[in-house]
Amino acid sequence: MGSRGATVVLSRANRIRTKLQSALEATVLEVDDVSYQHAGHAAVKESSDKETHFNLKIVSPKFEGQSLVKRHRLVYDLLADELQSGLHALSIIAKTPHETSSAK
Amino acid sequence: MATSLSNMFFKGLANRSLTRPLNGLFYCTRYSTSVSNDSDTHDDFKPANKLEGSDISLANVIEQDVKDNPVMVYMKGVPDLPQCGFSSLAVRVLKHYDVPISARNILEDAELKNAVKAFSNWPTFPQIFIKGEFIGGSDIILNMHQTGELKEKLKDVTSKK
Repeated sequence: MGSRGATVVLSRANRIRTKLQSALEATVLEVDDVSYQHAGHAAVKESSDKETHFNLKIVSPKFEGQSLVKRHRLVYDLLADELQSGLHALSIIAKTPHETSSAK
Repeated sequence: MATSLSNMFFKGLANRSLTRPLNGLFYCTRYSTSVSNDSDTHDDFKPANKLEGSDISLANVIEQDVKDNPVMVYMKGVPDLPQCGFSSLAVRVLKHYDVPISARNILEDAELKNAVKAFSNWPTFPQIFIKGEFIGGSDIILNMHQTGELKEKLKDVTSKK
């Protein structure tokens, strides 16, 4: 993130992190900007926005008892503003604390 | 004049025709002529991409799609030529199963794209429906493939000869 220099506004990555952290009380929250992988993509080629694609890994107790679709919807709803302002796609891994511990 | 007429005709054909990988009917038009800069964010400012004389609401088209096609994918590109990594992933997963995959290319139809988003209340593509049920996008289909849930869901979907 430091490479973006002295930006006045928070980067999208930071806003995503803040929004998800406060709403989901995530125990693990990884926000990876992978926009560079999609730089030639037809839909983002002419966009000035550079933060378009993210990988998210979220472990949150709020996902307990929720289907994957519901978990993803929850994330999309929290990031609705971002999706409307140039965020193009998210890859989401959404697990509960219980699922991560039993997977090990 | 002649050009615009043929454009209309062409779009009428290509935009809302279902692509089915199994019967060999493809519309591999990467970019439609009047909508060269497809962007997710500025649909409102693009040239109108209307199917002439279309009175059927797009929601009805989608409803019919997901009802008629056991595996229905709204994607960027067509199954054999996806235009986006996520759409490509979803198709690759589904191709592991011997089921007919029906698809529409939302890159060719901005209105359809918005209608699908509204229909499922889901902001991104691809979007996969199985037996009328909204499944989700590529992350979810991949996850269901890995857990065996997808196999279970598709077991009564027979391949089309």
